[in-house]
Amino acid sequence: MTTITIQVNGKQLATEPDKTILEVCRANDIEILTMCHLKGVMDVGACRLCLVEIEGINKLLSACTTKVAANMVIRTDTERIKKYQRITTELFFAERNHVCSVCVANGKCELQQLGYKVGMDHIRYPFLYPKCELDSSHAWYVIDHNRCIMCTRCVRVCNEVEGAHNWDVMNRGTQVRVISDFNSPWGESVTCTSCGKCVHACPTGAIWPKAIVQGQLEKKPGIINELVEKRKMKL
Amino acid sequence: MNRQDLQLLTDQAKEKKNSCKHTICVCCGASCISSGSEEVLKKLEEEIKSRGLENEVAVIPTGCMGPCNQGPLVKYMPENTIYQKVDCDNIARVVQSQLIDKKPIEDLLLFADSREKPFLNAEEDPFFKKQLKVALLDCGDINPETIEDYFTRDGYKALSDVLFRMSPEDVIAEIKHSRIRGRGGAGYPTGMKWETVYKYVSDQKYVICNGDEGDPGAFMDRSVLEGNPHRVLEGMAIAGYAVGASKGYAYIRGEYPLAIKRFELAIKQARKNGLIGNNILGTNFSFDVDVRIGAGAFVCGEETALIASIEGKRGTPKPRPPFPAESGLWGHPTLINNVETFAGIVPILNKGGEWYSEIGTPKSAGTKVFALAGKINYSGLIEVPMGTTLREIVFDIGGGIQGGGTFKAAQTGGPSGGCIPAEHLDVKMDYEALVNLGSIMGSGGLIVMDQQSDMVDVARYFMEFCMDESCGKCVPCRVGTKMMHDLLHKICAGNGTRIDLDRLEELAVYVKETSLCGLGGSAPNPLLSTLRHFRQEYESRITTPGVKKELQPQS
Amino acid sequence: MNAGFTTLSTELPKTDPRVKLLNARIKKEHYRPDALIEILHTAQNAYGYLPLPVLAHIARSLNLPPSRVYSTVTFYHFFSLKSKGEHTCLVCTGTACYVKGAQKILDEIERQFNLQPGQVSADNQLGVAVARCIGACGLAPAVVIDDEVQGKTEPAAVIEKIHSKTGKP
Repeated sequence: MTTITIQVNGKQLATEPDKTILEVCRANDIEILTMCHLKGVMDVGACRLCLVEIEGINKLLSACTTKVAANMVIRTDTERIKKYQRITTELFFAERNHVCSVCVANGKCELQQLGYKVGMDHIRYPFLYPKCELDSSHAWYVIDHNRCIMCTRCVRVCNEVEGAHNWDVMNRGTQVRVISDFNSPWGESVTCTSCGKCVHACPTGAIWPKAIVQGQLEKKPGIINELVEKRKMKL
Repeated sequence: MNRQDLQLLTDQAKEKKNSCKHTICVCCGASCISSGSEEVLKKLEEEIKSRGLENEVAVIPTGCMGPCNQGPLVKYMPENTIYQKVDCDNIARVVQSQLIDKKPIEDLLLFADSREKPFLNAEEDPFFKKQLKVALLDCGDINPETIEDYFTRDGYKALSDVLFRMSPEDVIAEIKHSRIRGRGGAGYPTGMKWETVYKYVSDQKYVICNGDEGDPGAFMDRSVLEGNPHRVLEGMAIAGYAVGASKGYAYIRGEYPLAIKRFELAIKQARKNGLIGNNILGTNFSFDVDVRIGAGAFVCGEETALIASIEGKRGTPKPRPPFPAESGLWGHPTLINNVETFAGIVPILNKGGEWYSEIGTPKSAGTKVFALAGKINYSGLIEVPMGTTLREIVFDIGGGIQGGGTFKAAQTGGPSGGCIPAEHLDVKMDYEALVNLGSIMGSGGLIVMDQQSDMVDVARYFMEFCMDESCGKCVPCRVGTKMMHDLLHKICAGNGTRIDLDRLEELAVYVKETSLCGLGGSAPNPLLSTLRHFRQEYESRITTPGVKKELQPQS
Repeated sequence: MNAGFTTLSTELPKTDPRVKLLNARIKKEHYRPDALIEILHTAQNAYGYLPLPVLAHIARSLNLPPSRVYSTVTFYHFFSLKSKGEHTCLVCTGTACYVKGAQKILDEIERQFNLQPGQVSADNQLGVAVARCIGACGLAPAVVIDDEVQGKTEPAAVIEKIHSKTGKP
């Protein structure tokens, strides 16, 4: 295996080509914030939190979808990137109805964690307060679109790992919503296998199991990659 | 069909054309059709027949002639006399005086109602005189629905020459030499794009023609597809040969049924004549083209979104790299060029890259088609050498501002572009100059605004467009455009504050730099450019709450 | 929200000429999932809009998940899940038309018929919609009434034309 050298935040790192910037940084304990990234499923580069500066490229590129190349000089910690991460976080919170104190995921939520990490003390943009539905028609799970951030991790897990493709995204712009089948109640789905992977993939309190109270919710996004890796071993 | 057969067909078509003393062209572009040109065509054919002139006078429908708001247009060849606003009632009079009495009717000549002395030969009119037609060549002179008419203009000769005399490397070298840049808006050098696709090794490659002209106010691609579809098809086939692709797709907006119809007809005719399909002209080269109809999504003009749409999916963009040249349609190397770019390929190969590279400015070679619209006297379709000034386009070609108003700004590049104010009327229009002014060339829409136009409202209008057209995949574009729109709306209504304006500017730069694709990346452009050139209009709208009236900033 | 089981299990009547047309197109495209958009165009042309049982039929025929079909349909402006009315009035709001007063036409339509873009009258006689640009910028402002382009038009003329179509005053 060939080895290449890249520089991240002034530090020289040896790595293999064909890895993404995100993989290399995480392997070397360099923190990169992400929301839509989930190990085990395809990356889509949608949340724009993992943007990095690369010398010689005038655009910011998403670390999760950009492969490393020899002698790449990368910065993940500039003031510009930090500022943009904060704006992105504020926009997440302003877009739908994220009220941590009454959310089932309070304390266990990746979005909440993100808010702490970027040091968000208040939101400078007006809340959009969209009218979002809550669907509790499934026997075991609930989807609450008020808490959804459109990371589409559930969609990808359902399609790529479970192979059910119950979830997809409808409409466009701020009208996008995660849907089950024909935008029909989850409980009436003909494709859902009730496997529960989407529950673990969801970073917020948008998809959760019924009969759970605040503080007890336990999400294990790591099991998705575990499953994927185990399947590879079987082959 | 082999090479000799093509030559024979070309000779026959030319001979037939020359046997007619006169040709009357009736503009059947979408604009003239909606003004009733199809009835005029029918009536004219009857009129010629009733006078027994059908052997010396050929009547043909053609594509767009240019001055769209004067339609329906009828052109007499070889005199090149254009009559405007022809209808079923005055057509007999036109035939009588032009063909029999040989005395043109002055009051029906092109621009007769606005020029002191209209021109008998339309080419002498300033509207045409300053133009140079390359991509639009033959558009408005030939019948787009027959392949024979295209043969009279040496149709498919370039393809034949390429197949028999040039290697793919030669073709790419010639295109590079011409210095033509992508006409879709970004202006990436076409030759380099072709070379990149050529270099990737794959058993399957694709050529895509981007005809998803989504900018409001732009209709260049539509006119080219409607007026000379074979030219685009030939350009695609040549590109296929150069990059090593055997399959092409033309992605055309669903809003353009006539363009779709004519392009599909052209494919059928070319297929029948063996000019596309298997073993073209008896060579080893095979190339076929299918049409894909867009379903109304502006973002599909972005190449990765367009590819997703051809694959039958939601047209959401993907992060680049990888670029389509490496991994495009179904993961194969894919060349995507705009309609206008493909239309320019045939003239370049016929006349040589050298010829093309000498037109225009040092960094932007060739010509550019613009769709003139807005508060301008002569709106329509024009093609000018790069480097023509905005003043020449608006005042010499476009005939100045409607109703004697004053020029305030010209908007180029649609929702991804910006506004050019009056003080920059003498800017030489090319890719770099427009970027320096905070706008972009874009696909060529050019909307003229007069003193009544409210620039803050213009920015709001384009932001609303981008907000509606955002695919919703990435956060900056999905939420950022909505926030900016709301802030602009607030300012327009007179409720905005200094803080709102600051937020707006911060968001604009943020969305521009962080969005996933070109739509979000350019959505703030109309806002940023109006802020740059017309800041006063924003300042005068905002209020400062909590500050005593006498301390309010003077505006 | 739409019904799940019931919609997805509805079969289309085989004798309906529109179903035959649709099936012919699906066959012509060799049941390929990537032809989804072409097939949706055919269905929309045949039905005027895309009823859910038709979408379910397409999903089954192309072997696509229902949510994948629904997500594609709702992404594109061209496709509609609702009936658009017997007569349609499409107002172009492209830049040229906007500059030349498309809003005045929309205002007048709203004043006369109490309909906003995207709405259909209670008797299903008239549907009003807006287009982002129909490409007739030289004829701005342009309105399309039942597939007929009205160029350089004005509010009063549009209202009159609509009345002549719907057969009301």
